[in-house]
Amino acid sequence: MNGKRKILKFTFNKALFGIWILIFAAIALKNPSFLSAPYIINVMLRNIVEIAIVALPMTLIIITGGIDLSVGNIMVLAAMLGGISAPFLGAGGAIMITLFTGLVCGFVNGILIAKIKISPMVATLATMFLFLGLGRGISKGGSIYSYGFSEFMGNTSIAGIPLQIWLFLLLAALFVVILSRSILGRALYGIGLNSDAVRYAGINTEKILIGIYTVCGLMCGLVAFIWLGRFTSIKYDAGIGFNMKVITIVVLGGTSINGGIGDMKGTILGTLIIATLNSGLTVLNIPIDIQTIVQGSVLIIALISYAIINERTKRKTVVKINEKEELI
Amino acid sequence: MINKKALTSEAYLGLFLMLILAVLGIWAKGFYSINNVISLLNAYSYILIASIGMNMIIITSNIDVSTGALISVVCIVIAAFGKIGLPFGLLLPIAMLAGVILSTLNGLFITSLKIPAIVATLATTQIFQGVLPLVVEGSIYDLPASFTWLAFDAKLFGMIPLSLFMCLIVTVVFILFMRYSRFSKKLYAIGNNRTGARLSGINVNKTIVQTYAIAGALFGITAVIIATAGQRVTTTMGSGLEMTFIAAVVLGGTNTAGGSGRIFGTVIGALILAVIAPAINYLGISPNWSDAIKGTIIIVSVVVSTAKYRKRKRKLCMSAE
Repeated sequence: MNGKRKILKFTFNKALFGIWILIFAAIALKNPSFLSAPYIINVMLRNIVEIAIVALPMTLIIITGGIDLSVGNIMVLAAMLGGISAPFLGAGGAIMITLFTGLVCGFVNGILIAKIKISPMVATLATMFLFLGLGRGISKGGSIYSYGFSEFMGNTSIAGIPLQIWLFLLLAALFVVILSRSILGRALYGIGLNSDAVRYAGINTEKILIGIYTVCGLMCGLVAFIWLGRFTSIKYDAGIGFNMKVITIVVLGGTSINGGIGDMKGTILGTLIIATLNSGLTVLNIPIDIQTIVQGSVLIIALISYAIINERTKRKTVVKINEKEELI
Repeated sequence: MINKKALTSEAYLGLFLMLILAVLGIWAKGFYSINNVISLLNAYSYILIASIGMNMIIITSNIDVSTGALISVVCIVIAAFGKIGLPFGLLLPIAMLAGVILSTLNGLFITSLKIPAIVATLATTQIFQGVLPLVVEGSIYDLPASFTWLAFDAKLFGMIPLSLFMCLIVTVVFILFMRYSRFSKKLYAIGNNRTGARLSGINVNKTIVQTYAIAGALFGITAVIIATAGQRVTTTMGSGLEMTFIAAVVLGGTNTAGGSGRIFGTVIGALILAVIAPAINYLGISPNWSDAIKGTIIIVSVVVSTAKYRKRKRKLCMSAE
């Protein structure tokens, strides 16, 4: 029994890895210039890193059966408040304000969802309008420009690799450990599978939920520097497509939108697949519209295969938790 | 008993709406001019028609985030037909048919593959959005007068736009339909308890696909009103609208968990959303704040209705003891 389960889990992420290698190889064969290291690092990875960083906490949220539709708008609002305050307060003040904005926005989401018990989709849909509207109102519909620190975050390289990729690697490692090696991670799966049972087991689910939505907001604040630095200016509607892109990556990585099933490594592989598709299709001179279709199709294919696999995995996960407890 | 019945969430919303309208009557000079009211009601009619479809989908505890992209596709389809000079009488059925086909695809996708509705429609959004620019380059323009007939010439008694009349018919039909038809009972049953509904003999999958098809027809009507407003139809006419429709439904007191909600709530919710933008304009506040105000109103109304729901539930538990 034990061995069998291990093989299944192993093949699941490996299937994603295989798909990634396949796409990568196909594009590299068609156009060898894609294979150059500077292109892969500076274009392929650098273009997706904001989405990738937010996808990490989003995976935690979706595993608890929740969702956050407001991430892109938190990011834009945080970047704007930071950019506006930079001339008055200096870099230090701007950094504080950006991170604090993200933190507060995430905290508001968490309170609405965990304390007031509004369904996550409705709550974050409403705050999406609110954050979008605040950004629009504060900037009066205009652009907010980049400042010293955000430029540093967006355009610095350490040892030939952009700073934001180092940051992503660090955070990815941290989140992998949190989800798969900590008590908190275990509780997150539990909340996704059966929230009441976890609460009766003596875990403070409200605190955990508020915590992960707040962390998600904080990550949006962090990403705000990178985004602003990379594009030098930001408008209120910049975050609209961002929300769905983040969710696409998480779902592509095998996390079930119903909660309880998912894996951080899957999310990272999902990120790589989307990154490769995006920049690979650009290298092949395929227009952006077809890229959208390809992304949608990849998502559909992934969904169909997960729909089949998830049914089985769900049963196995329940068995696994039971067995773990028996062992303890 | 009467008291309890009068204080539904629709009643609260209605009171809130009247408050807004009264404030506007006092402070906003010229808000009740005929031109402004008619342009407001025109926007209201297309929001409401699609929101009714969205409401039916949400009652079955599904959702559709592809509506905006779907409406864009339908807009382009009827613009292509309108360019040949087809009259409005043919454009409307074509739009409804296109809406039904695309929305049925969504429904089939959700039911036959057992994919959660939000993810499935997220994927179809990308496909709808991606296909459009391949077929059309940017926009279809220089459309003939027969195409914009609905927006400029179709007036009842010389002033009431036909679109408003269409909206009225759709609303009345669906309020009656959702109250008295056997089909609507199935929707509530599925939303409340899917397995229970299946065990009591309802063909759940078929009903959900039918719901998406009906909603698709309504999205088609909305697309006609949006597309015919001008002589140029772009490929992004509907993008982002789905959030407005969902917001109208949620504001109207429908729980996204499914199984509850009335069309009448959506009627008021959509009107509140439609009033906000022009109201802000007439109150002298910058239009840039309209989204923030929309968001605040949605949050407050959802918080209030959730708090009320929990209070009622606690009361029920206590009386049971």
